Amino acid sequence: MIKLLKIFYKKDGGIVQLIDKDKMKEWPIELPLIFIEYVRNNQLKVYDDPKIKKEIEKYLDEVLTDVAIPGLIEVLDGDNFEEINKALVRIEELAKKNTDMVKPIKPYVEKLVNKNIKEVNNLSNSIIDSFNKAERKKELAEKRKIMQEKEKSFLAGNLSGEEYAKARKDYLVLKE
Amino acid sequence: MIIVANKTESKKWDIKEAKKLFQEYLEKGLEEEKKEAILPENTVKIDDLNKKQTLERIYKLTDSIIEMIYENGRPSIKMPSRTSANIIWDEENDLLLLGQQIMEKHFHSLGSVADITRLMKVLEKVNELLLKDMHATKREIFYSAVQLFGDQKNSDKSIEDVATMLYTTRNSTHIVASAKGSCIGRLRIRDKNDIIDLEGLGSGGWTISPMLDNVEILESDAEFILVLEKDAAMIRLSEARFWRKYPCIILTAKGAADIATRMFLRRISKELRLPVFTLVDSDPYGHYIHSVYLRGSKRLSYESPFLATPDIKLLGVLTRDLEKYKIPNDCRIPMNQTDIKRTKEMLSEDFVKKNKAWETDLKLALNLKMKAEIQALSTFGFEFLTDQYIPEKLSTGDWI
Repeated sequence: MIKLLKIFYKKDGGIVQLIDKDKMKEWPIELPLIFIEYVRNNQLKVYDDPKIKKEIEKYLDEVLTDVAIPGLIEVLDGDNFEEINKALVRIEELAKKNTDMVKPIKPYVEKLVNKNIKEVNNLSNSIIDSFNKAERKKELAEKRKIMQEKEKSFLAGNLSGEEYAKARKDYLVLKE
Repeated sequence: MIIVANKTESKKWDIKEAKKLFQEYLEKGLEEEKKEAILPENTVKIDDLNKKQTLERIYKLTDSIIEMIYENGRPSIKMPSRTSANIIWDEENDLLLLGQQIMEKHFHSLGSVADITRLMKVLEKVNELLLKDMHATKREIFYSAVQLFGDQKNSDKSIEDVATMLYTTRNSTHIVASAKGSCIGRLRIRDKNDIIDLEGLGSGGWTISPMLDNVEILESDAEFILVLEKDAAMIRLSEARFWRKYPCIILTAKGAADIATRMFLRRISKELRLPVFTLVDSDPYGHYIHSVYLRGSKRLSYESPFLATPDIKLLGVLTRDLEKYKIPNDCRIPMNQTDIKRTKEMLSEDFVKKNKAWETDLKLALNLKMKAEIQALSTFGFEFLTDQYIPEKLSTGDWI
């Protein structure tokens, strides 16, 4: 028998009940992602208990890896282009908002770039573009952090002017 | 002009007894999930089916009719009788169920030919709805063959007969009643591809969909469910955002309980394992509404296991509350002859006789010959219902 709801216990004796991930396997493939996004954006902030928040975050991650991603991969790997198209539309929306959430699907989207269907092609390229932008943003944030540290070292006299100028040049090249 | 003192205390009650009940139900619900409810042997088993299963039953039935035509040219249909003599109260599960008396309708009998033709027309429409994955209201079914049905009473009866004939619920046939009830509070649901937050729909709440096969519970942190007889009480609780202070889900069928509201209540209480309380007028009709939520109506007894919410508690307004809360005489209404007759009828029901506190309260009503509406409580201020009456009762366990 499939469990309908999963219970999370609060410290004050209250509970939060969330639909069981096995039930989500019967859903349209894009829906588990919408659900995860919905709970993260709207409900988590409502629960006062940090313990329950952590547990629910963990559960949502499980939903992502056990239900949402495998469901999408199955569709993207298949031959039903109508379904692929629907899934790509949803992935594109999510990739623009939160790339990390759909990162495991990247290799499957990359395979679709070469398909001879215009819509699938456009959507796949747009998703890959979002992935690239997000990666670059991440890379830039890391470099910025390093640069800030080098600036501190330079001001403290622990870095020579020559070394600082080189680091600054590298940073600006990446930024462009 | 008489100004009545405002008795409202705007404190936060601990609703201790309701919370205790919630913990009990949670444990009991988890235990019960492991075992299936067993219905008595002398009753008929009705199943809640999905589209595919209902279609299979229709095909099986039509195959058997065709076989009879080939065999002797005189087909007939057998189905459980829905007469009151065949309605059984299952004490263990606290439900009204259909017994095993079977009636037979013959295609070649003058007495039942009109009935059979209507039945077949409804069956044809059910088949069409299921194949197209659509839902229709009872009214639409009537208009699909006005001349044949003549009156909606006839099509309604045929709809119930078809469900009984297929040993399934009416909702499984995709024939639904119009939306009537509404629900608000700490609950998130899915209706097809939409996520609906029942806290964020304004003061009107969500109109309970009769197409409950499309609805699924997603999330809730409620600890109890409150069923209100009247929309006026719903407005009061909704304006007070009652569920924010006391974690609950509130619903109303705006009077008599319709199928969709009862079915939805059963689902949320069972799936979320929450205690349910009703707040009705202190009159025999209010008590009757409570009883329909509790164990189902006689007319739809074949669907009771899918519609009734056993263990539901009558929170108020109890007859004893009229004295306890000193409801002024000018806010009480004298019972008329019909009220007295209805109260006596309620007292003769087995399920009332078994519940001593309920029986006592009804006897007190007969004794006082007085009734009162929920709104009578607003004599102590508009906030009295939400800030004192309901929370106090939930805190002290003052229910039946």
